[in-house]
Amino acid sequence: MKEKEYSDIFSGFKGAQTDLIPILVRIQDKAGYISEQSVRQVSGFLKMSENQIYGVASFYPKFRFTRPGRKSIKVCMGTACHVRGGLFLSEAVGWKLGIAIGQTTEDMRFDFQRAGCLGCCTLAPVVKINEDVHSRMSVTRLKEILEKDD
Amino acid sequence: MNKRAAIQLTIDNKPYTVAEGISILEAAEQNNIYIPTLCAHKELTPYGGCRMCIVEVEGIRNLPTACTTPVSDGMVIRTDTAQVKSMRMEILQLFLSEHTSSCLICDEKDQCREYMGTIRKAGVTTGCRYCSNDGQCELQDVVESMEVKDIKYPIYYRSLRVEKEDPFYDRDYNLCILCGRCVRMCQEVRVAHVLAFNHRGRNTVIGPAYGRTHLDAGCEFCGACVSVCPTGSLTEKARAYEGKPDREELTTCTFCGVGCQMRLLVKGERIIGSLPAQDSLVNDGQLCVKGRFCITELVSGPKRLKRPYQNYNGIPAEVTWDAAIEMAAGKLSGCKPEEFGMLISPNCTNEDLYVAQKFARLVMRSHNIDTSARTFYGAGFNAYLNLMKRSVPLSDLRKASAIICLGLDIRFGRSVVGVELRRAFRRGAKIVTVNPRQHSLALISERWIRSIPGTDVETLQSLAKMTAGKSATRKKADDDLSAVAEILTEAKSVVILVGSEFLQYNRSALILEAIDQLAKNTKAGVMPLPAQNNLYGSLLMGAYPELLPGGAASNSTKQLAALKKIWKTAIPRLATKWNAADVSGAKKLKLLYLVGESPPSNGGPPADYVISQNIYPLRSEVEADLVLPAAAFTESDGTFINGEGRLQRVKKAVNAPGDAMPDWMILSKIARKVGVDGFDYKSAADIHKEIASVVDGFGNFNKPKRDARPLDLKVEMRTGKIKRVAPAKADKQRPFILSTSVTEHTHRGFPLSRWVDGTRELFSEERVDINPDDAKKARVNDGDEVIISSTEVKKTWPVRIKAEQAPGVLHVTLHEADVVNPNPHPVKMRKK
Repeated sequence: MKEKEYSDIFSGFKGAQTDLIPILVRIQDKAGYISEQSVRQVSGFLKMSENQIYGVASFYPKFRFTRPGRKSIKVCMGTACHVRGGLFLSEAVGWKLGIAIGQTTEDMRFDFQRAGCLGCCTLAPVVKINEDVHSRMSVTRLKEILEKDD
Repeated sequence: MNKRAAIQLTIDNKPYTVAEGISILEAAEQNNIYIPTLCAHKELTPYGGCRMCIVEVEGIRNLPTACTTPVSDGMVIRTDTAQVKSMRMEILQLFLSEHTSSCLICDEKDQCREYMGTIRKAGVTTGCRYCSNDGQCELQDVVESMEVKDIKYPIYYRSLRVEKEDPFYDRDYNLCILCGRCVRMCQEVRVAHVLAFNHRGRNTVIGPAYGRTHLDAGCEFCGACVSVCPTGSLTEKARAYEGKPDREELTTCTFCGVGCQMRLLVKGERIIGSLPAQDSLVNDGQLCVKGRFCITELVSGPKRLKRPYQNYNGIPAEVTWDAAIEMAAGKLSGCKPEEFGMLISPNCTNEDLYVAQKFARLVMRSHNIDTSARTFYGAGFNAYLNLMKRSVPLSDLRKASAIICLGLDIRFGRSVVGVELRRAFRRGAKIVTVNPRQHSLALISERWIRSIPGTDVETLQSLAKMTAGKSATRKKADDDLSAVAEILTEAKSVVILVGSEFLQYNRSALILEAIDQLAKNTKAGVMPLPAQNNLYGSLLMGAYPELLPGGAASNSTKQLAALKKIWKTAIPRLATKWNAADVSGAKKLKLLYLVGESPPSNGGPPADYVISQNIYPLRSEVEADLVLPAAAFTESDGTFINGEGRLQRVKKAVNAPGDAMPDWMILSKIARKVGVDGFDYKSAADIHKEIASVVDGFGNFNKPKRDARPLDLKVEMRTGKIKRVAPAKADKQRPFILSTSVTEHTHRGFPLSRWVDGTRELFSEERVDINPDDAKKARVNDGDEVIISSTEVKKTWPVRIKAEQAPGVLHVTLHEADVVNPNPHPVKMRKK
């Protein structure tokens, strides 16, 4: 993000320490993630140290610190999906793309996250790629989908 | 503090009377009742994180934590019922499942402790016998008190990488129990905010943002986190595996003019570490990296001088003390007053300084004694001393409503002052900084003015001008400088802090004069924070040609008469115009006596015969003819006067290595050998008594009574001419401004980084600091060599990219040579 965009984000805030989370939410909405540069900007605005800001932000799973990929893979780890093999799917993604949860592939194509429950337990296990929910997923099918998108 | 009302309560069926407002834990501790705890610490606010201190209280549901529950009248507390015990045990078991605790429950732990041969020093800690904190661990104490027999949960080793990349301490978060003491220390007490809890749940780990190293994250390396860690997660590199110290000795730090009080940890005949003392007058339980970590390495280095030796054409030959003293006495008696010169370090004690100047004046009949402070401050020496005449005690920071920091860097040196500043910021005081670099102070500053070297005189002069006169008549402009002027004139009480940034510029005198004017206009108290810890003392002891003990001029008839009475010999009037600046000049002395100093290097020996009395050998290119081993400040008694004017005591903690002796003792022996009376001192206390007859406030050697007071000096020091040159400005041909300074982190003539390895990474010395954008444009990376040239200089240095460096400005901190003149001046730079 550019300097000017930060002043837009900070507008309406007085610079109190309690403004931290609303500001982080705005940044995440706008840039998709909390970059090192944005933490530096917030640090200057709120007069808080970068370490303190990161400490707060990393507590919440909502905030991510890596740039999102063009496609976002969310493997459901809810109870039903877990029972029906969500863990295998998650491992399969890791093997296939060589990234761990929370990371993005080097070519920026995929990022990989886990979800709590996507609310379609009857279709378990499910994987959400961007806005599409793929139901009754298997490792083979997941690999096929990932390859097709290559 | 008001005396709090007393209340009655019952602990474990026994009645006690305690003060109101304290916690159950404090009440129990006061009455010697043991409650196990891991996260509570007397310097930190109660946290209730470890849950070990749970107790039963009648009328309170569940089990409250003793550290966070305040006592109340009639409270009935039980600290070791079966329920409390079993729940504590459960919690401890959870701790131990995540802590490498195999040794705690091993059947053979006692035998192992006795017979352990070499298994201890391991890169990764897998049990207590491998841990550097073995025997000093609070978790061990708790486990012992609770008599843990086995661990019922599976062992979960987090396999985190052991972080050893930063200097001075290692971090192994596999041992961490997340008690949060270090985080609270860093956030509450130091207000440095380097450490935070990152992530959450079982993934929680302590550290800076984005997994940066502590060096990159802005850590000050004060070591406060290491001191409070209850486990072996944080360990001092130099003190690891040393075990418990035998004793502690209270003393004063000698690395800068703040004069922090500290405790030296002694084991056998060795200093193994240093910790801050709870002294609310100066450092309030804090130290900086120099006091906390550098002392051990400095005073116990393997190259310490142990025996006197002389150099025959560059070949050292050890001699006995008797022979060395005879040799020195012989050389000195064949030397005329004007052919003699003595340089003494302002790091020496008052007693050493006093004896040294008495030695020069009585034995050599010469006033040729000087310190390196004169060359350090250069033309600005008088102006700096003028600021010291306005100095206020450091405790004034606690009540100031506006604080302006000029050229002050609080990261590594003087970080104790930084803590006070950040506390003041939190209290609501307005802080303003003027500095070319955007370092840690900029974050807490209301306004930060980037003064560019070369034009900073004008910046400060206009600031001084803006604060003059009445507020209503002042012209209001909408820029940073007038905003600062506004803050300063509106504030009730202003404090000016003066750092070392500008001190070595050619026009430093003008800057310091502008600061003086600013102080007058805003009725501010000034805190000059001299880099030399005993600068004040060296002035009062008269270790300068112009000054006699007591701070009178060397031609003051009254003071000369007074000294004649004490010394029983008349002293000649000041005749020569020699001073420290002449040592590197063309006219060579016949004999130069260096007491804890190293001469400037300009090729060739600085005198026909050089005697060096120090704790380490000089640089090889200026090897002295006669080398006398001196005792370090941990090995001799004495007093210092810090930058505030407070008299402080240094204590002998260990014996000097080999045959080394305190400076005053060596000088007195030589004086007696030459045959001069008045040097029959038995101890430093004797000298102190003699000083008391000349200098006011002295006399109580063991418990100094002299409080902070501004310098009272009516003598003008002779300095170089103040250069009224035009401001240095960059142009097309020479696009960069180069500013240089000689390092202020020195001790007895040596840069600290020469003897303390870790500081080489911290202090950016002998490297060109450059802004990242400038580096990008010039296509240089960290560590690349660049050639910096102008009509006056051509030098090669490696590059260090620093985000805080101002664009277009290059800065080099030099080790021991002179600054690059003119300073600052425009240069061009190219990659080698």
